[in-house]
Amino acid sequence: MKKNNKIIGLGLLLLMVVVGYLFFEVFNESGIDIRKAETDVTISAQNLVSSFLDNESLANSTYVEKTLEVSGIVKEVNYLNDRYTIFLDGGETFACLMCDMNTDQIEKIEQIVPGQTIRIKGICKGFLLDAILLNCVVLQ
Amino acid sequence: MSKITTVIFVLCSWMASYGQKTDQYITRQGQTSFFSYTSVENIKASNNQALSILDIAKKEIAIVILMRAFVFEKALMEEHFNESYIESDIYPKATFEGSIPDFDGSLNDVQTKMIKGVLTVHGVDKNIEIKTKIEKTKEAYAFSGDFEVDIADFDINVPPIVEKNIAKTISITFRFEYMPYEE
Repeated sequence: MKKNNKIIGLGLLLLMVVVGYLFFEVFNESGIDIRKAETDVTISAQNLVSSFLDNESLANSTYVEKTLEVSGIVKEVNYLNDRYTIFLDGGETFACLMCDMNTDQIEKIEQIVPGQTIRIKGICKGFLLDAILLNCVVLQ
Repeated sequence: MSKITTVIFVLCSWMASYGQKTDQYITRQGQTSFFSYTSVENIKASNNQALSILDIAKKEIAIVILMRAFVFEKALMEEHFNESYIESDIYPKATFEGSIPDFDGSLNDVQTKMIKGVLTVHGVDKNIEIKTKIEKTKEAYAFSGDFEVDIADFDINVPPIVEKNIAKTISITFRFEYMPYEE
């Protein structure tokens, strides 16, 4: 009898762990693992910024919420509000591609200098004065 | 005085006077967060890419925010926010245009001012007043504060099934650190 109770207990515990894990996966998913996400568009930072400057609504429907791989020249790297942002040259005097970097990218970011050409993967959110990419990682 | 020294001196004084003439300040990385507290759950989202221009001569301020750039703790909340409540494809941006009639840009002390203006969210305009702390920074000014909005004012449709999960009044905090605007 005691043995049976133990087995039932263990079974229930296992079930709780599995349900808990599934619940966590479905409801507590904090963003996307950008490394695993399939790239929708590969483009240069200058072409991306030009697309938004030429026709914002068309660019919105083409790029927004898409996973992009973007290459470009680093204009500025800054640390503000506890986060790193890399600005890639957009070809225009003021408009850039603003890349909000993932927190696990610090080691890579510290080695990046303005003028360097890099590739960044992230999710496009739209355009204000700059095109905006979130969840960004530096590609080797 | 050598010619080069004279040129540098003239350039420096020109730059100094140019600096004084700069009436416009900008931030492309303004921070805005909102909070919804209920007994069922707390929801928080942050946006670190707000664009704002401050004109101290006209005493005017303009802010524009991409709704899709709000980051939530849970991906499902972000999806509901963009697809169901804010309808970010139709209304991608929130804007604020306001004035600070009694703003004094020359003060070095912290000043607290009321900014009056129109907040547009989900295509709906609403007149609001925001109490704002204004600090002089090394580069320019930092504006910060918090205020509340009622979601009913912005024609946002919350289905009855999740009504208890979303507060009727949303708290918003912000911090904008401006830099001189150089074209």
